[in-house]
Amino acid sequence: MLSVDLFVNGLIVGVLYALMAVGLSLIFGILKVVNFAHGEFYMLGSYAYTLSAAALGISPWLALPLAPLVGGLVGWLTERLLMRPLYSGYSSWGLMKDEYAVVVTFAFSILLVNLVNKVVGPYPQLGPALVDVSRLRLGPILLSGQKLVATCIGVAVIVGLSLAVRATVWGKRIQAVAQNRLGASLAGIDTARVSSAVFSAAGALAALAGALLAPIINASPDVGAFPAVKSYVIVVLGGMGSMPGSILASLALGVLESFGAVYVSYDYRDTFGLVILMLVLLVRPQGFFGEQGRVV
Amino acid sequence: MSSRLALAVVACATAVSAAEPINVGVPIAQSPPGSVVQGVQVKDGLEIVKEMVNKQGGVLGRPIALVYEDDQGIPEKGRAAVEKLINRDKVVAIVGPHQSSNCLAEIEVAKRYDIPYVNTNCWSDDVRKKGYKQVFNPNNYNSRAAFAMAETLAGLGVKRVVAFCENTDYGIGQAKAVAEALKKKKPDVEYRYDTLDRTGKDFTPAILPLRAKPPDAVLMMMLPPAAYIVMNQLYEQGVAPTDKTWLYDGAGLGDYPDFWQNVKEAGKNLIEFGLYHPDMGVPKLGKEVGDAYQKKTGHEPNRLIFQAADSLLLVVDAIKNAKSTAPDAMIKAMESMTFSGVRGTFKFSQEPGVGYQQWVDIPYVTYQFTDVGQPVSKTTLVQGPNVALAIDKLKKAK
Repeated sequence: MLSVDLFVNGLIVGVLYALMAVGLSLIFGILKVVNFAHGEFYMLGSYAYTLSAAALGISPWLALPLAPLVGGLVGWLTERLLMRPLYSGYSSWGLMKDEYAVVVTFAFSILLVNLVNKVVGPYPQLGPALVDVSRLRLGPILLSGQKLVATCIGVAVIVGLSLAVRATVWGKRIQAVAQNRLGASLAGIDTARVSSAVFSAAGALAALAGALLAPIINASPDVGAFPAVKSYVIVVLGGMGSMPGSILASLALGVLESFGAVYVSYDYRDTFGLVILMLVLLVRPQGFFGEQGRVV
Repeated sequence: MSSRLALAVVACATAVSAAEPINVGVPIAQSPPGSVVQGVQVKDGLEIVKEMVNKQGGVLGRPIALVYEDDQGIPEKGRAAVEKLINRDKVVAIVGPHQSSNCLAEIEVAKRYDIPYVNTNCWSDDVRKKGYKQVFNPNNYNSRAAFAMAETLAGLGVKRVVAFCENTDYGIGQAKAVAEALKKKKPDVEYRYDTLDRTGKDFTPAILPLRAKPPDAVLMMMLPPAAYIVMNQLYEQGVAPTDKTWLYDGAGLGDYPDFWQNVKEAGKNLIEFGLYHPDMGVPKLGKEVGDAYQKKTGHEPNRLIFQAADSLLLVVDAIKNAKSTAPDAMIKAMESMTFSGVRGTFKFSQEPGVGYQQWVDIPYVTYQFTDVGQPVSKTTLVQGPNVALAIDKLKKAK
């Protein structure tokens, strides 16, 4: 029975990891940069949801969409103001100042954490639950109503996004830019707009994850560090830039951590992902679904 | 007459503000990942006392100035912060430290420069066991909390106890101290502790195994926000508090201003080890500080406010007694003086070990929350300085 509990808990955590990691993976796929401020999009979503519900006194269901809106807006601004100068004017990735992206996003992350710490304050704040049921029994499983709702919304969003990337025009544009930016622009795709859209979507996804988890994991200025670190591991594990890879790696990591914490040691919970990452990289350096790089 | 008096006060205040201030260093967490919540309260307590002292003419005719450094709750940053405070800001003493891992790093610097270091809220016994003459501890320590918890657990007649402690010097230290205390008080108790990451966010895997065979008591030795998450997840999984299992916090979370905003139902029936309860009574000076805090923030005063207040008052008294800001003279004064602060009167023990330069008999309380959102003043006081432990007052969750 404990195994079933652990498996389900691992899957739930995995879905929420996936919400974060998919956005990070999309950004890498399109811009070939790692966004070190990704965790802070999560944090902003967490606060946007918690504070708007509390300050405006509105229903949590009305406050929920505000989080991805805020995350999407900050993502769009980040791309327009911080990322675009890094690649505008360059037609080849080899010439892009992508190493600056690391410094810029890292600094932006520190700025956001400290800004929220000063403006909102350091006190952790628990968000209002979408469903106010503290304990819900589903057969042998016991979980809160919020966890169940968050997982269902998370699955719906991930499935919807996967379908959108596969089947819509915008999805095909994203795929094209991810495959070959220069080729895509020669085919008439506005690559800058695609980059903006992807950054906005990634920000919105991370912020949505923050909002969904705010009633479980209290909003605090540094709350984004934890999911961000997991996301980096997941993105590499799944294959840099691969969406299906990220989803699979998220679920695998969630379940692995859940079992490892009980059957190995809770103390090493955060190291399981890193150990698996090292093993996978030794056998398959491109990750689960990544493509091996080649020089022509 | 009154105009002469007013003139004299103005003249005195002008003289104080014109005099060179006495710098006192304050390394506290003002940004994550440290406990900024604690840092804010320590700062509030210090500022209240600073204003009171300066309004009364300062000390040796000079105003007190507090120089803050953000140590982020990271030991290496704390070390650098104390270095800066001593060398750049020429502080005469350090007050305010509130996280054990930082204290352990910072006292090495204080020792090297021979500067008085007043530990405001680091509970780790190791801070005392180092035996540094520069370090003074007018606050609680892990062995003291462990003794109190073991006494309550023995009274409850529990057989199996599981503790969740954070992976810090404080958390692990307290978990081990409880093991020692239980061995003496109730050796037949089956006790184990699990170490949890203080930056962790999902503790369900650590909690799930307890569902099959719930212990009689779950102890908490963690700081927010992780502590709040653990409490909520314990409640969600139906592990504690329940009609079978007590939930007992050893970190004194109950009087944090953000406690109820973050735990809700999970905090009902929580047994709390604390260092302040309105019913325990405080001296007149303590009442003044408590009132000033309540006026300033709207929150009930709590232990950190009083601990911070005493830390600075201790430095002020040491300067007065020594008639000097020379570190050696201040250290000597603190070693021998009897101090009357906002929580009572005491003298530092000089016995080596955990009691070294410690307020050994520091008063503590045990109380229980019986309702959601209950302020500390309305909780059931189960034990206190003048209240013998009354186990029958504790109510199990239904």
